[in-house]
Amino acid sequence: MIRTELKRGTAELAILSVLEHGPLHGYEIGRQIEARSRGALCYTLAALYPLLYRMEHRGWLKAGWETGANGKPRRCYRLTAKGKKMLTPMRAEWADLFRALRRVAKVSHG
Amino acid sequence: MGNWRKYVRERFAESGDSGRADEPVVEELAEHLEDVYAEQCATGLGQAEAWRQAERQVEDWRKLRRDIEAARREGAMSERVTKFWMPSFVTLLLGWGTLALLIWARVQPFTTGARGAKGLIVYAPWLMVLPLVGALGAYMARRAKARGWRVYGAAAFPAVAAALVFLTVFPWAVLVDRNTGPDFRLVSLAADGTSWVILPGVMLCAGAVLEGRAGTRGQPRRFAA
Repeated sequence: MIRTELKRGTAELAILSVLEHGPLHGYEIGRQIEARSRGALCYTLAALYPLLYRMEHRGWLKAGWETGANGKPRRCYRLTAKGKKMLTPMRAEWADLFRALRRVAKVSHG
Repeated sequence: MGNWRKYVRERFAESGDSGRADEPVVEELAEHLEDVYAEQCATGLGQAEAWRQAERQVEDWRKLRRDIEAARREGAMSERVTKFWMPSFVTLLLGWGTLALLIWARVQPFTTGARGAKGLIVYAPWLMVLPLVGALGAYMARRAKARGWRVYGAAAFPAVAAALVFLTVFPWAVLVDRNTGPDFRLVSLAADGTSWVILPGVMLCAGAVLEGRAGTRGQPRRFAA
């Protein structure tokens, strides 16, 4: 498992990335991140929602109530144009960080 | 099936602060907890254990509440900056910067007072520029999706700032300057207020109104379905 402090920094990129493929509600965002990271990144409700609200207020995400498969209204998040624009530099930034870490700490891909 | 809405409402109430949580937030968090609970039940856990697993999603409700409020404050703050403070700063800089340039270029104002009597000071070229400044401020505010008083407040900000300076300085001047009579002080206030607050304010707001009309005319017509 990855430590909390490190995970928090990756959360914005993870959320933007899973929403790139279509709108999702909060629980599903958490599930998708967990599945795609093969269980390495797990965000609890307490970690996920303040971040989602922050990203929504920054204009990266847009949320709206939609009827779910079970007929219940769910608050779904979708990526805005501003959010899409954030993805490319954010990915480059993380790639730079991993490259730098590899050089410094001799960390290699598994 | 547990009542997660009631659970979330109670946890927020216990967390202190205002004691009342935003209902859509309660709804959303309750839906999440319900999903976790249902998923745990589906894995074969008993209801009590599934409930405990869902509860573990939030260890500190007070912290969660604070984090949510901080996230919203950050949004509100940046919104205020783009909708009001940024356009206000631009109009303030351009408004008073233009006047400073005119004074530096020794452009003489038109004055109504004669021989030491207090009168109006009218910088006609400055007043002619102010509608453009006001229009720019209003455009910036409207572009950031500001409406109503924010648009006019940002456009007329140089006049608002001057009014604040007058309101701060004038009571002190009345107390300190004992050589002039109260009538003269009132005339001074009226003359300076008109020269530096009311006339510029009217010109700045005129720019905002014209910008608003031009913006409305430029928009495509909407037809009712």
